[in-house]
Amino acid sequence: MMRHIAKRVLVGVVIVFAAVSSMFFVANTVGDPAIASLGHNASAEAREAWKHERGYDRPLHERYGRFLVGVATLDLGTSDRDRQPVFDVIMHRLPRTLLLSGMALSFEIAFGLLVGIFAALRRGTLLDTGVMGLAFLGISVPSFVSGPIFLLVFAFRLGWFPVGGYGLGFWDHVQHGLLPAFTMAIIGAATYARIMRSEMIETMQSDYIRTARAKGLHPFQVVMGHGVRNALLPIVTLIGLSFPLLVSGAIITEQIFNWPGMGRLALESIDSLDIPMIMGVVLFAAIFVQVGNLLADIAVAMLDPRVRLGSR
Amino acid sequence: MRSTRRSEAWAGLVALVFLAASALALALFLPEEPTTPRWRGAGHEEPQRGGTFVFHHEDNVRGFDPHTSFDELSNMGIKLLFEGLIDYDRETLELVPRLAEALPTQSEDGKTFTFRLRRGVRFHDSPIFPGGRGREVTAEDVRWSLEHMLHPDTASPGITFFMLIEGLEAFRAGDASHVSGIRVRDRYTIEIRLTRPDQTFLNAMAMTFAYPVAREAYDEYGDEVRRNPVGTGAYVLESWEPGVEVIFRRNDDFFIEGQPYVDRMVFTLDLKRDAAVMRFRNGDLDHTHRQSIADYIALRNLPAWEPYRVEEPNTDLWGVVMNTQLAPFDDVHVRRAVAFAINRPHWRRARVNRLLLTGQPIPATLPGYDPDLPEQQRYDLTRAREEMRLAGHPDGLPEPVEVWLGTGDISRFYGELIQSDLAAIGIRVELKQVAFPVFLAETGKPRTAQMLFSGWSMDFPDASNFLDILFHSGSIRDTDSTNRAFYSNPEVDRILDAARIERDRATRVAMYRDASRIIAEDAPWAFVCSNLQMEVWQPYVRNYRPHAVWSNFYRDIWLDLPRERWDADEPRLRGVAAFARFFGGLGR
Repeated sequence: MMRHIAKRVLVGVVIVFAAVSSMFFVANTVGDPAIASLGHNASAEAREAWKHERGYDRPLHERYGRFLVGVATLDLGTSDRDRQPVFDVIMHRLPRTLLLSGMALSFEIAFGLLVGIFAALRRGTLLDTGVMGLAFLGISVPSFVSGPIFLLVFAFRLGWFPVGGYGLGFWDHVQHGLLPAFTMAIIGAATYARIMRSEMIETMQSDYIRTARAKGLHPFQVVMGHGVRNALLPIVTLIGLSFPLLVSGAIITEQIFNWPGMGRLALESIDSLDIPMIMGVVLFAAIFVQVGNLLADIAVAMLDPRVRLGSR
Repeated sequence: MRSTRRSEAWAGLVALVFLAASALALALFLPEEPTTPRWRGAGHEEPQRGGTFVFHHEDNVRGFDPHTSFDELSNMGIKLLFEGLIDYDRETLELVPRLAEALPTQSEDGKTFTFRLRRGVRFHDSPIFPGGRGREVTAEDVRWSLEHMLHPDTASPGITFFMLIEGLEAFRAGDASHVSGIRVRDRYTIEIRLTRPDQTFLNAMAMTFAYPVAREAYDEYGDEVRRNPVGTGAYVLESWEPGVEVIFRRNDDFFIEGQPYVDRMVFTLDLKRDAAVMRFRNGDLDHTHRQSIADYIALRNLPAWEPYRVEEPNTDLWGVVMNTQLAPFDDVHVRRAVAFAINRPHWRRARVNRLLLTGQPIPATLPGYDPDLPEQQRYDLTRAREEMRLAGHPDGLPEPVEVWLGTGDISRFYGELIQSDLAAIGIRVELKQVAFPVFLAETGKPRTAQMLFSGWSMDFPDASNFLDILFHSGSIRDTDSTNRAFYSNPEVDRILDAARIERDRATRVAMYRDASRIIAEDAPWAFVCSNLQMEVWQPYVRNYRPHAVWSNFYRDIWLDLPRERWDADEPRLRGVAAFARFFGGLGR
């Protein structure tokens, strides 16, 4: 198990390195950060001075080397746009995205699993068809469509939620996060519902379920103790894999709902070609993808006795 | 397999039915937009202390250094953080003392202004001061601040307003360590001497460039002082998250006892117009100053908002600029023909009535504007054709004319309006749309741009800020001319020069009216409009009115808290009826 984890971590480090390296070269060749910051109106001297101050007049390989050293020492440099330490800005924004993603993930799991289980247990009924129809709709509607509609209907017209923003104080943050989290959760919940339904249908037809029933177990115990537990395995993998999806979904949702997290930071930094900030965001996103995958692997191993990571 | 396909088909069908049912339910049962504010105040009549006021802008603020930051956003914060020696009265445009005890005295020759400072005014508490306690502001601080702003290394955009201070050239050339025209008389008295009399100079002293700043902040933070402002204003910077928000906290040591009233001000950044208006109408924002056309119509047509909104013209001027050095606009008759051919009422309708039409070079908000100006330009196609005949072009111009425009849909829209209007007098117009920096650079060069659509917003509320800059021959240069019509009339120059030194206010205004009449008649511009701006605030926000000079000036407001729901019992139209009412409102 430990050996497998170590191997996965090593692979993860290589993938993160490859991702940030390719991004570094792309970001440093697509445009002129001095123009992005100072505007086309700035004189050539002003642009050169700007570049000199931030080290953009150094050769690319030298900047790359400095960047890697910075990553190794957790010194991600200073934002070109705001002159703030990149690490500090990310540490400021990250908890907000984690709060939003955490709420969205909770909604996804709660709604998705419950709906999937009920649909499977009522297979072929009107309830099953209706619920799966809704799931079909949920998968089909992207957040850039559902977000503005929810904002208009539930926040503006009905006045049930704040119209975007982040609020002041923890519970205010949670209140502001409900609608964007729900928006982010729809696609995931629908996906979980469909997968959970099919897994449950298959599981409930297994021999060990029939045996459990024959032994006289209470139907609730049969469903929860044997059916759900076994059907959960692919869901756990999916949860790990959905972590990066939540982060990328946050880019759109945070923009729609003016939620000042990593997603908006990514857009702002790309918009202003703030290379240190872009690199910081990419680095953290890449790390999150790897950590999500690793956690999913570990969770599957813990849930399924047949899976023993690293054993031959 | 067949069963699965059938199941998927049913699910798809259910999805479609649900979608249709949702749309129908929305159309039939969704409440219409709130027609009243969501919240109202508690009903206090006396100013209350406390609360948090939330305002917004659609861009990101760059900094709060009064010497170098000169844009709408920065000023919104600078006016909370800093105070000047003098300022403008909110209603009347008159100068009033702030950090000064009284308005400055002026010497007999009109060249020297003497300011006496209030005693006991302190800079904000800050770690830059010993013990963290803000120290008293003195005349020496005023001198240091002005010299810092005037120094070439600061590169302040405000330098042009202070060029008449005696000894400035030597100081900027490095030949003198101080500006000889700025003299500290005692701890609280400072004198500023000009090379020649100028009655507009006090306007410069009311601008943010002249605000006293703490030298220690510049020593400590260098260029980063814009993020670490230490002023004397009603509010202190508490936090600033770029792209998200700036939070200001009340300055408990503010020099006016009992003020300010609000505990905290939250400046929400990078909030687009549509989202801002939705948040405002939901009660999540306390003031809004820019709206999309749809939101503008909606807010304008809701009677419940009437007491909490004001629509006033900006002090700006927009028009069609004609290069008087280039044919065919070197002929005054062609210029007048254009001025009479611009269908201003049509422009206003096309911009949903958000324009205040004009036909003269002084905006309606400034002294010197003459509503009865006889030579005022107006839409008159018969006169336009007569002027074309006098110019020798009764059938129009043989060659097309090129009109320069900045980027953006609105610029192009105005260009198309010009095209359409001038076609009626036989002038074919070709649009040349370029990036704004290119537009500024090229149209500022002589003999380059034949015609352009351009505007000017005031730096300070005085007619000279329009007439001198846009129409004085001294504003013609080889590059960066602000007189982009390259208009030169010795009589106009003479009047404008005399007006700058005239000390009698009524006489000055009369002189500017004279100049305005001549300029309107010479028609270097076809004057078109000033923009109208609607500001709306929540019912519980008290003591707010748009400031005559400063945009979004919130320092003096108070909040009538606790706020309570207004719309709880409001009958609201639903569904189709609401849509019908919305579209009915478009025609109003």
